[in-house]
Amino acid sequence: MSAKKVTVRMKVNGKEYVREVEPRYLLADFLRHELQLTGTHIGCEHGVCGACTVLINGKTGRSCLQFAAALDGAEITTVEGIAGDGPLHPVQEAFHDAHALQCGYCTPGFLMTTIEFLQSNPNPDRGQIRQALTNNMCRCTGYLNIVDAVEDAAKRMREGACGA
Amino acid sequence: MKAIEDFTLIGKTVLRREDSYLMRGKAQFLDDLPEPKGLIHLAFVLSPYACADILSVDASAAKALPGVIDVLTGKDLVGDIKTFAPVIEIEGYRDVRRPVVAVDRVNFVGEYVAVILAESPYVAQDALDLVEVDYDPLPAVAGIEEAEAAGAPVIHSHLGDNHIFRAAFETEDFDARFAEGDLVLEEEFRNGKTAGGMIEPRGCMAWPDPVATNFTLWTPTQIPHIVRTAIADHLDIPESVLRVVAPAVGGGFGTKAHVFPDELIVVALARRYGRAVKWVQDRRESLLTNMHARGHILHIKVSVKQDGTLCGVYLNLKTNCGAYPNHPYSPTLEATGCARMLPGPYRFQTYRYDVSSLITNTCPTGAKRGTGQPSAFLAIEGMMDRIGRRLGIDPAEVRRRNTVRPEEFPYVNVVGVRYDTGSYLPSLERGLEMIGYDAFRAAQPKDRLVNGKYRGIGICNYTEVSGTGAPGWRVRGFAKMPGFDSSRVVVEPDGKITVYVSQADAGQGHYTTFAQIAADRLGVACEDVTVVEGDTSKTPYGTGTFASRGSVVGGGTVIRCSEKVGVKIRRIAGYMLDADPERLVLKDGRVADPEDAGRSLSLREVAETAYSMNNLGLPQGEEHGLEATDYYDPPMVTMANGTHVVQVAVDPEDGRVEIERYAVVHDCGRVINPRIVEGQVHGATVQGIGEALMEEIVYDADGQHLNANLLDYLMPTAMDVPELELDHIETPSIDTVGGIKGAAEGGLTGAVPAIANAVGDALSGLGVNITRVPLRPSSVFEQIRRACTEKEGRA
Ligand code: FES
Ligand code: FES
Repeated sequence: MSAKKVTVRMKVNGKEYVREVEPRYLLADFLRHELQLTGTHIGCEHGVCGACTVLINGKTGRSCLQFAAALDGAEITTVEGIAGDGPLHPVQEAFHDAHALQCGYCTPGFLMTTIEFLQSNPNPDRGQIRQALTNNMCRCTGYLNIVDAVEDAAKRMREGACGA
Repeated sequence: MKAIEDFTLIGKTVLRREDSYLMRGKAQFLDDLPEPKGLIHLAFVLSPYACADILSVDASAAKALPGVIDVLTGKDLVGDIKTFAPVIEIEGYRDVRRPVVAVDRVNFVGEYVAVILAESPYVAQDALDLVEVDYDPLPAVAGIEEAEAAGAPVIHSHLGDNHIFRAAFETEDFDARFAEGDLVLEEEFRNGKTAGGMIEPRGCMAWPDPVATNFTLWTPTQIPHIVRTAIADHLDIPESVLRVVAPAVGGGFGTKAHVFPDELIVVALARRYGRAVKWVQDRRESLLTNMHARGHILHIKVSVKQDGTLCGVYLNLKTNCGAYPNHPYSPTLEATGCARMLPGPYRFQTYRYDVSSLITNTCPTGAKRGTGQPSAFLAIEGMMDRIGRRLGIDPAEVRRRNTVRPEEFPYVNVVGVRYDTGSYLPSLERGLEMIGYDAFRAAQPKDRLVNGKYRGIGICNYTEVSGTGAPGWRVRGFAKMPGFDSSRVVVEPDGKITVYVSQADAGQGHYTTFAQIAADRLGVACEDVTVVEGDTSKTPYGTGTFASRGSVVGGGTVIRCSEKVGVKIRRIAGYMLDADPERLVLKDGRVADPEDAGRSLSLREVAETAYSMNNLGLPQGEEHGLEATDYYDPPMVTMANGTHVVQVAVDPEDGRVEIERYAVVHDCGRVINPRIVEGQVHGATVQGIGEALMEEIVYDADGQHLNANLLDYLMPTAMDVPELELDHIETPSIDTVGGIKGAAEGGLTGAVPAIANAVGDALSGLGVNITRVPLRPSSVFEQIRRACTEKEGRA
């Protein structure tokens, strides 16, 4: 039942927010309905599909399994924070070129997973990529183009890093 | 007019314009739409029983909860919404109607029993636990055999038994011709019930305008026009006051090509309360209540000559309808679909089928990618292998001997379906070559055991029904299925183009491909074309996006409509240039006179004349505006085709099936955008891998649904997918506009039988007979174990 609201401070995509929410309010709902950041999607609400994946203090987490109130003071990155309205991030570019999305409902989750993964493993092989992607489900693409995209994104990011 | 051969953009990979907003998190899926003020949130109380009488519903505690607006039962809604049923006019079909919320009997786990209206979704969820329903549980039947057994409880008493549909077909002198074979083989195949499994759950939101006379319904549907017609009909409101909008749709796969009770309910409640009403399901509801598919029993008998050619085929098919017929197709969709598609690429002309659909106490079944085809080909392709094994003929050779030959096109199959063109044999040969079939067979030991694993190859040669037109739906009894699709192409006053299509995209990339088509036909850049669809108030009426019809019918109408506008553009430009309109060419955004190289007009200049934005006036008899509307009703069906060849290794230690090689040859006629076609083939094939190896909705004998979550209803992940080797053959249709055939379902249809056959081949040395999918490790292991024990027993 509804309980007393608690104050939550969160930095989301670089911006500070303060909101009063019920203690049971999910992070996914907080992002989507309190902050209108609806790019994070809900596919199962039981931690399997990965559509709701965001970065919580730099690490991927499932926003459908976390309470907003427990994340007071946290730093969150959602899909809206990857490139904003600016030029696409190399991971997004690679997804576009590889036709790694169809309906795009799962895509925000895949992008977050990929960004974290390539930070820890900038030069993965296809087996490692598949392994990293198992926490995200896509029903449209059959995954192969996503694996291609991650491989290509890694290459772009390595080249970008050399160029810089 | 430009000849079809000079396509400039059709056939090219154009990267999708949809991607940018989807990847920036800006797409507007149903639950992402801004919420209107005063929104009411719904939650449904679901039946925990497969069959029970509802004795009473006590909602007083729920109603007392702050934030709860109301709780309604089925009885409360009887006056608002008529009982729900599709309109089916075919012999052997018997009408079954349902209240959208159960009134005094529930017939499957998950059926709506009451609806909660609340100020927030959290409160609505809280209230669910406070509604007390008193049930009197009754015996339930979940399976086909239980439903047809003598003395089975009759679920809908007016039927007298549990049959909702029966149909039969028989070619002339069937018995005599069937008897001409040298031997008869028979088998029973089964597949599990599965789900569409789109990652976006369903939901819908209705909004009444401030005086509550017009309503907008946002619903992630593949068939917005059909949804509107059905709602108007069941709510008794004029279609003109309802607008149905499909926002961004997170995957459809046929599941979202139905009309659902909740769509009727949100509009009825928006009317009743004069407020916006929204409902979003969770994953459990999605797996409990969205349409299921498959769950077939196919008994097949084939009569064969010594050389492996078929003399005749008999199919007895039983399908599980679930508790109620789906809207708009009813269970006849899978039943007749499967039986009529079973002949596939084969030449036999003696065929008989008996099909029946049984009501059971399970979730209704309906359309899902592939419809009856994965079942049909599981059976006929399974028989091809059995014929080969029995007669000592290579299974690929058995197929060759039975396949429609290139010189026989156009060919009319045994149920009267015309195959205008196709690459049946070339695609088979190409698939075999890609996998290195002959070498594999030559090296394959008799017991199939290589390095501790049983290895085998499976083939599926399939045809894919696509782009069904009105006659194709009518033969199958769909009285209210339009069959056509339509478009409106407008050259705006500034010379840019807007294309309105009656379709609704769910990830297929229509905003890119339809723009490509119009740009190609009108000689402009893709970027100059905007595509609008999925909105009944903006597009002309049409059937929608399912059953591989988007490119054939949607693409076809955009070609025709663009060319119609092209005629008017030329007429006005001819007048402006004082040239014969016939010889003018549309290219690079201009209308040029090739006989007078220097002279051309921009599309904008022509549009300004058409819209009276200059002083030129119009030629005599010409109307203002620069647009056309087109309704395209394609042929009965258009057949695409393809071949899957799969090599598997089966581990006898744990029964796991590993796909080692996977070759797909695919022919969908004229390709609009190769990249997008490839994506469709990938996606469908992987859904087929799911159906073949892991996916199954499990009901126990009492009709309890045992796996309504994504941990237990297994769908493929990135680890379950092999690399696919893909090849395309392009054999344009001669019957459809542009030569286009459909592309979305063949992957699934090809995968299930090919994998089943590969496992069957791998385990043939052990004498294991593969007749049922999914082939989960536990069941494969069990079959291997049993075969080994039997062998030892014999030894
Ligand atoms: S919605 Fe969070 S994992 Fe599926
Ligand atoms: S693109 Fe549709 S679920 Fe992944």
